[in-house]
Amino acid sequence: MKKSNPRKMHHRFVVLSLLAGITFIFTACSPTPPSDASSTQLVSKDNNKKKITICLIPKKKGLPYFTSCAEGAEEAAMELGNVELIYDGPTDGSPEKQASMIEQYTLKGVDVIAVSPNDPNVVAPALRKARARGIHVLSWDADAIQDSRDFFVNQATAEAIAHGMVDTMVKDLGGPKTKADVAIVTAYLTAANQNVWIEHMKTHIDQQYPHLNLVAIKPSDEDQKLAFKVTQDLMKAYPDIKGFFGISSVSFPGAAEAVKQAGKTGQVMVTGLATPNSMRSYVEGGTVKSVVLWNTAELGYLTIKVGEALATGKLKQGDTSFDAGKLGKKKIAGDQVLLGDILVFTKDNIHQYDF
Amino acid sequence: MNHTDDTRKTSGWLRMITYLLRHRAIGLFLFIGLLTTVVSWINPAFLSGQNLRDIAVQAAPICIISCGVMLVLVAGEIDISVGSMMGVLAASMGIMVSASRAQLPPHVAIALTLLIGIGMGLFNGLLVAYVGVPSIIVTLGMLTALRGLTEIIMNGAWITDLPDEIRFLGTGTILSIPLSLWTTACVLAVTIWLIHRTPIGRRIYATGSNPQAAQLAGLSIKSIKLFVFAWTGLLTAVATLVSVPQLSVVDSGIGIGTELLVVTCVVVGGTSVNGGVGTLSGVLCGVALMTMISTVLIFLKLGEHATYWSRAIQGLFILGAILADHWISNHKK
Amino acid sequence: MKAIFLRILSLPETFLSCLIITLFALISQLDPSFLQWEVQRSLSSHIWELAIIAIPMTLIILTAGIDLSVGSIMSLSAITAGMLFQAGSSMPLACGAALLTGTIGGFLNGFFIARMRVHPLIITLATMATYRGIAEGISQAKPVSGFPAGFTRLGQDEWLNLPFAAWLFLIMFVSVFWVIHRRALGLHVYAIGNNDTASRFSGIHVDRILIGLYTFSGFASALAALLFVARRNTAKADIGMGIELGVITAVVIGGVSIFGGRGTLVGTCLGLLLIHETREFVSWHWNRDEFILIVLGLLLIVSVVFQKLLRHKQNSS
Repeated sequence: MKKSNPRKMHHRFVVLSLLAGITFIFTACSPTPPSDASSTQLVSKDNNKKKITICLIPKKKGLPYFTSCAEGAEEAAMELGNVELIYDGPTDGSPEKQASMIEQYTLKGVDVIAVSPNDPNVVAPALRKARARGIHVLSWDADAIQDSRDFFVNQATAEAIAHGMVDTMVKDLGGPKTKADVAIVTAYLTAANQNVWIEHMKTHIDQQYPHLNLVAIKPSDEDQKLAFKVTQDLMKAYPDIKGFFGISSVSFPGAAEAVKQAGKTGQVMVTGLATPNSMRSYVEGGTVKSVVLWNTAELGYLTIKVGEALATGKLKQGDTSFDAGKLGKKKIAGDQVLLGDILVFTKDNIHQYDF
Repeated sequence: MNHTDDTRKTSGWLRMITYLLRHRAIGLFLFIGLLTTVVSWINPAFLSGQNLRDIAVQAAPICIISCGVMLVLVAGEIDISVGSMMGVLAASMGIMVSASRAQLPPHVAIALTLLIGIGMGLFNGLLVAYVGVPSIIVTLGMLTALRGLTEIIMNGAWITDLPDEIRFLGTGTILSIPLSLWTTACVLAVTIWLIHRTPIGRRIYATGSNPQAAQLAGLSIKSIKLFVFAWTGLLTAVATLVSVPQLSVVDSGIGIGTELLVVTCVVVGGTSVNGGVGTLSGVLCGVALMTMISTVLIFLKLGEHATYWSRAIQGLFILGAILADHWISNHKK
Repeated sequence: MKAIFLRILSLPETFLSCLIITLFALISQLDPSFLQWEVQRSLSSHIWELAIIAIPMTLIILTAGIDLSVGSIMSLSAITAGMLFQAGSSMPLACGAALLTGTIGGFLNGFFIARMRVHPLIITLATMATYRGIAEGISQAKPVSGFPAGFTRLGQDEWLNLPFAAWLFLIMFVSVFWVIHRRALGLHVYAIGNNDTASRFSGIHVDRILIGLYTFSGFASALAALLFVARRNTAKADIGMGIELGVITAVVIGGVSIFGGRGTLVGTCLGLLLIHETREFVSWHWNRDEFILIVLGLLLIVSVVFQKLLRHKQNSS
């Protein structure tokens, strides 16, 4: 064989291999009849005794906040006995990946998808497709677009969270009469949830607390180091700042650490959303007076309970209350199952919580 | 280095420009000076001792890693895995020292962290030097894989109880200067010594500027490349030990994006991605500029709308620095 | 004869085909339901945007270049379309403007690279930050949603049993394949990758070709952005974040040398198929998102090591 035309031969081979590849895929795909797929086509929906598969999708896997929700969900699944729980979500918090996962679960034919949407708009088409396939869709932790889900397991509305944080801050600063500059350290500038909270916080401040002056909103890109740095810089650039809102579980400890290291414990208040474990040292040290959150394990527990009830037909649209096992009766307002009030962790009660 | 004779250039102006061209770092330095003047004129608080100290402390870990990555680039390779290496190192260090986990004594944990850093660096280096896989591919693969590994190590729970001895590494001071700055100074001193006083330094530059010639001259290119990757791994571990204890919580997202920041610093500092060219002073200026920008934007108090433009402004700064650098070096010829 | 055999064996495409066959064999053992046509067709919607960008990326890497800014160009184009739509312009006009924005973004990259001789890695690293920053600034980081049904159908409709995006990809693939293998331009692309300076001396319009390729990359990214917006009905500044790494991984696994001059479009397709199936299956079977990262990272390193060893073997025999 002459060496002069390796390119041509190479070429021919390449086309052949492509053809072979495609043929292979088609042959690999076609011989599997759909009925053969019982290993993942999990249940027929009219049979209550079979296992009900519930997918619990967090905004971001790996956050202790969601891990503690998953623990509560696990407990509910054990208690119910007929529930198989799948807990998975994007480790990078990407809305697109979340939507892809929903599409996968739809194809697998699970019974319930419970999602905490990173971006309601992005996941909405995927959720509608799931509903069209007869899958029960719940949103939990954060709401999806209304027509893309059956129920919302609501621990607190965006409005309540935002108001809770602002009210807490005002109380920590010493009442609505105190004049103060405040700043927000958020996650990403594009983070959908945080942006909704920020909007509600702004209107609440405008309407209720004319003495509170919001001077800056800065992103931390979910990087504790950046939250730390941004808080440090803000304190120096705006010497009158008296309070920081750390409105993600990463930016809150970062901001608190910056205040602590600047020696401004007691002069500059920090509040926000985070799990008690990550804020414990600051609450006990006095840098942070109050942490706003809710009982995450109960949220996960309630979500699974609602999911199971929905799949077995125990819960229907129009019900006004729901029996949530160890949590007692929970109110249903329209299509929202309410968990209850938000919790404010302070020096006095933080030792009761471990998550 | 291109030593064009500038004897014929009579005007002092031109001579100054030629001087600047030869020492690119000075141009960058002047730019930083200009920026500082403008900002401190608008907001004098920028020049306060506390602020300069904070900037230095923030820059410390980036500076430490940049010392390693610069040598990798000078040797003609690239390392984009440092961000995920930091993640793995932070997670493993956290687990080793945490009171509720492994509870190892701090000094053992520190030694192990350094060893893990060197180990990951060696792995990169072995694949690049001895198997011959392009460095951008090896480190891209590691960037992805190690991020996944970090998540698995952390397993959805963060470490919130770092012992005080470890926190001291990040927050402590000696002679009222933060420990992290002492560490940075040591790393810089060792790097300067390495580049200028040891044969290794010259060999790294020789390898990057002309590998064939270096090989013919009897240098072991493979061991030099192995060395720069291991060195970067070690420095990444040092940077992790300096930066993570500044915070009280070890989360699973530590180090995300650091690789891009470090490469940007090193490149803005005039290091060539083709190898053989790069100065520590340039890299230091690059680090200073990149750390300053975001602080500067806050001190300018541009208002809420500007917040959303800050990434664009940072990008334009980088773009401007790079284009100016290239424009100058193109006109040198 | 043995030489030919060895040569075929050492081709990256052979190795990849083997890997893909092994993967499918493994899947059919572990979880055959994953292989249903219906499942495969639906899941394929996750890859088309990446695949469309991978075509110009292959050509760029063949010239020993790289384009890190594709994800940011996606975001800038998506925001252009979104903001215009929000301002009341008609959807075709908004799409046209988005494609134009992407093309200009790509052209600027190409201009800096070819005319100012800045290394592509450096310049696209800088434009990566800048373009996304501009998108964030224009949109004030807010999403635009509620596009008309006629537009979102582009992302969901199927034609002859394949999604619209797949047809776009196929058309692009076939036309680029034809240009590369039947026109002089193809030879020039390989020549630039093998030796830039020699190509210049032999009269190849290196600058023009480079500018053209990066512009094409910008255009393809804009196209991918529109498909994404149509599929998810949302335009936002964080679209396409990190996609550049996925694209580069696919191209490199497909056997394209990062130093340029060696590799094929078919290899890229096989690379895309491999990472797509791996990614989807790991998530399908294990429900552990963090595994995907580890598997993909190792897959990249291992496949390149193997390709390297095979080529080494062939050269020494």
